Amino acid sequence: MEVLEYGFMQRALLASLLVGLVAPAVGIFLVQRRLSLLGDGLGHIALTGVAIGVLTSTAPVGAALVAAVLGAVLIELVRARGRTSGDVALAVLFYGGIAGGVVLLSLAPRGQATNLESYLFGAITTTSGDDLVVFSVIALLVLAVVGLLGQRLYAVSDDEEYARAVGLPVLALNIVLAALVASTVVLSMRVVGLLLISALMIVPSAVAQLLARSFRQALFLACGIGLVVSVSGTTASYYTGTPSGGTIVLLAIALFLVVAAAVALREATARRRHRRRGEVHAAHPHEHGEGCGHRPVPHGDHVDYDHDGHLHAPHLTAAGVHYDEHGVEVPAPGAGQR
Amino acid sequence: MTDRSPADGPAVRLRDASIGYDDVPIVTRVDLTVQRGEAVAVLGSNGSGKTTLARGMLGLATVLGGEVELLGAPVGRLRERGRVGYVPQRHTVSGAVPATVREVVSVGRLARRGLFRRLGAADRVAVGEAVAAVGLADRMEEPVASLSGGQQRRVLVARALAAQPELLVMDEPTAGVDAASQQALAEVLARVSAAGTTLLVVTHETGPLSGVLTRAVVVDQGHIRYDGPLTGAEPATGHGDHHCGPGEEPVRAGYRLDQPTVSTRPVRLGGGR
Repeated sequence: MEVLEYGFMQRALLASLLVGLVAPAVGIFLVQRRLSLLGDGLGHIALTGVAIGVLTSTAPVGAALVAAVLGAVLIELVRARGRTSGDVALAVLFYGGIAGGVVLLSLAPRGQATNLESYLFGAITTTSGDDLVVFSVIALLVLAVVGLLGQRLYAVSDDEEYARAVGLPVLALNIVLAALVASTVVLSMRVVGLLLISALMIVPSAVAQLLARSFRQALFLACGIGLVVSVSGTTASYYTGTPSGGTIVLLAIALFLVVAAAVALREATARRRHRRRGEVHAAHPHEHGEGCGHRPVPHGDHVDYDHDGHLHAPHLTAAGVHYDEHGVEVPAPGAGQR
Repeated sequence: MTDRSPADGPAVRLRDASIGYDDVPIVTRVDLTVQRGEAVAVLGSNGSGKTTLARGMLGLATVLGGEVELLGAPVGRLRERGRVGYVPQRHTVSGAVPATVREVVSVGRLARRGLFRRLGAADRVAVGEAVAAVGLADRMEEPVASLSGGQQRRVLVARALAAQPELLVMDEPTAGVDAASQQALAEVLARVSAAGTTLLVVTHETGPLSGVLTRAVVVDQGHIRYDGPLTGAEPATGHGDHHCGPGEEPVRAGYRLDQPTVSTRPVRLGGGR
């Protein structure tokens, strides 16, 4: 493949693979606790770190990581105090972060300030070999922590009050999660840019949420989706000449819309089919039961009745009992239920 | 006895305790001792302070004055909090991401394990037993959101039971729950209580739990107005001294104080919400 012939694209694809895998693994906990915009806020704060890094000629990635983790800890401490002013405090922190970043970057020597756009919207093709090493270390650390503490993070995200009542270290776990988000923000900075980071954490999780039956399933599914959209978005951006960040996020959103539509369609079809089944014998003359003259046929978790060659399944609703048509032959167990 | 291990002392002891949020006390200067193995109903109307009282015991509301001890240790310092089971006042399990019954109930085991330890075979057994106890064994791998409201409440009860708690605190476990689920809950609590677990149930109607709970603590305007046998705060089946106006909702399952030595005020319930 042509795209793999260039060293810069190989590094870009590796970076997008790491980011696509890691961002949803952290993002799903934010979706669970309905804090989807936390990543956005930390992205704002990271910009100040980047600016400080550029100004002091130290590594912008390292400075961004320090700024974002500090911001994350601060946010959790503000949240833990539970005052109503917390909301305003967060807003001040977020906007202070981006304003500070913009102003500080403008003070940088001529030529460096133009970097602003690459941090805001990503510049994946500038990923260096050293960057990749740093990204790999961050990615491994984040995945290790999620693997180790995932169940506790789930518990705290799902029901913080219960977690506190039974003595789980809620504040510590919240700070760990916030630090994970901060690390992911810095990891994703080069690939999707600070303004679009939240999207890569949240949108794959939102898709997984529509499809999964368990949290574990949702977590793995989100990581898989993130990986696929991230790598294919980066590849597509190479051919279309569009920015990688925007391309990846648009791809993820398109996937979300398709899946959401498919799920809605499936539910509507199931409802319609159910109504039709009920209409065949809308005015059912009697209730099926023992000795009603119709042969009972065990069917999955219930019993159908053989009514002149087709199967009737009793369905109890508030309006009384009606009979769903469960077909002439014995269908797959559970089909047509709900 | 020279040593005082945490296993000593009552399940709950409040001495001159004031509890509230931020700096605003909701419950003021309350004394209450619950011995181990007791089954106590904390009764009161909406806004009486009964939930705040229970939350104060669990460290979820701020203790503004006096002392609150849980299982023999000051509430903030109890190290083995995993010995406490809690069913919060929630109607449903409401996380945005789907989770199975097993996943939600497994959380009940986490507090008993170290921070980094994974749940093992013994935990899986306890989770299985807790889910079976609330009659949902066949729904183990189903997403909680697909269950009815009453079944979801039972999942939260199972989560608390999975911790095999010494003290089980429940906030309105029967509110908004169908009759069958209420009956199932009563049977579970009877078994748990017989096994020696201390029960503390915050509720505005004892309903089918009357058979399990033996002692009643009635909270009104942040004070304990009655503390004695549940039969002393019996259900008011008739109108009693309360006359329903035409626009008033009937009180579905009330209780009335029969001991005017404590208070002469009849307690009215927030019947239907």
